[in-house]
Amino acid sequence: MTVWAPAVAAVGVGAALVTGTWAVATLDTAVAGVVAGRGLHLRRAALAPLRRAALLAGRHPVTTERPDAPAWVVAGPLLLALAGAALSALPLAEGLAVADVPDGLVLYGAAMALVMVAVFLHGWAPNSVFPLIGAYRFVAQALSYQIALFLVLLGAALPAGSLGLGAIVEAQSELWNVIRQPLGLPLFLVAGTALSFWGPLALPDGEDLAGGTAAESSGRELLVWRTARAAVLVATAAVAAACFLGGWLGPVLPGPVWMVAKTLALLVILVVPAHVVPRVRIERFVSFGWTILLPLSLVDVFAAGVVALRTST
Amino acid sequence: MITDVLSWGLAALSLWSAWRVFRTDSMMRAAYLLLASFAAVGALLVLLSAEFLGLVLVLMMAGEMTIMVVFMVMFMMNPAGLNPMTMVHQHRAAVAAGIVSFAGLALVGVAGDFPDRPAADEVTTTSALGFELLGDSMLIFQSAGVTLLATMIGAVALTSRGGRFGDAHAGSDAPALAPEATASPAPATDAVEEGAHAAHEHDRHGAEGEAG
Repeated sequence: MTVWAPAVAAVGVGAALVTGTWAVATLDTAVAGVVAGRGLHLRRAALAPLRRAALLAGRHPVTTERPDAPAWVVAGPLLLALAGAALSALPLAEGLAVADVPDGLVLYGAAMALVMVAVFLHGWAPNSVFPLIGAYRFVAQALSYQIALFLVLLGAALPAGSLGLGAIVEAQSELWNVIRQPLGLPLFLVAGTALSFWGPLALPDGEDLAGGTAAESSGRELLVWRTARAAVLVATAAVAAACFLGGWLGPVLPGPVWMVAKTLALLVILVVPAHVVPRVRIERFVSFGWTILLPLSLVDVFAAGVVALRTST
Repeated sequence: MITDVLSWGLAALSLWSAWRVFRTDSMMRAAYLLLASFAAVGALLVLLSAEFLGLVLVLMMAGEMTIMVVFMVMFMMNPAGLNPMTMVHQHRAAVAAGIVSFAGLALVGVAGDFPDRPAADEVTTTSALGFELLGDSMLIFQSAGVTLLATMIGAVALTSRGGRFGDAHAGSDAPALAPEATASPAPATDAVEEGAHAAHEHDRHGAEGEAG
């Protein structure tokens, strides 16, 4: 088991990327239906994304005048690969990870920092106005949430005394971080929504920019890009489940089931605002990021440090 | 064996992308090729069991290269830095600086006395690095940190709207949106000038008449 665990986990990461993105699309369609008063039709909501994906895959690609072709080719797969890299450091159960490295949280941070590169490439490449504005928007957005995101995660790592995601989960065997650090999960979910540019913070790909960085995308390229966006959301929810909700820990049921259940619950929390909360303007989010999100995350990491020092001595 | 292949491949990738930085004609490509070069160096650091340093290098450079693209595009004279342009200038000075720095680094590489101590598998460099940063090397890193902070505060102070001599935009107020506000004074000054001109002519005629 221990020798084959990384291989099993690699299959698990692939399965998580496929089923996770499908789950996000299903949830999104289902919530949209409920909000629109059409009622909950889970089967229809599960099939609709597959139909949309098949349509996109078969559609003729449209290009622009003198695009940056290599950047356009790289952007979508890069975003998808970054979500996969983030999931690879994440244990599904005790010892069941592709690579539960001692610096797992730093690996996650490096992958999520490169999200900014992928989005910028995707907005720059078409040589078109709206995508370029979307790219610049995401730079402003990323600079505003990034420090807070990493500080909150450092707070979650303090009780474990380790940057490894497995150790962080194990340190929550007595008390989950969501209770120990009440600020942690809400702040991470706000920063994670910004990182996944989803719902009210889908500013680089916003409707007000006719689709933003994806305004000129079509066919398979658009399918890869949308899948990659959903995959980043899945990675955000999974890391939140591991760092704040105790990952695989839970009674009766086996570990992976708990991990999947917690991730799905967090996905619901992340997807619902897309249909009930209005879009935030970028300048408002930047002000919020620097004047509220960052100070609160400093308070969170300071309080976590004080608690960690008191319990260790 | 795999490690050797990987490290040579990464070294080649790092050198190739660093060379392409100067051969491309796009700001964005130059910055992100430099990022690719840094990422290959980061992967080399991971291979050298300095996982934390390697990953942090990628983490920092991802943001910094993106900010560099935005600033380079902002400050270029050619339309918004979006047009193709050459990435090299001051050729003689650049060649001289390149040769000197290559010779210096090569000298360290060839003449340096590197220790040969393979790290054990269970050694984690992260905590050792933490004790080093907040122990023996604390003075150096804290001084560097304070210097960088002072630089940032200075940059913000220089670019902020208010300063010792008033607001940065003083004297450069935007024109009024209503057309009358700017258009109406023009006919008035014309009329005054014409009136003055006519009066002057009249005076001259009068003087001539008296003389005649």
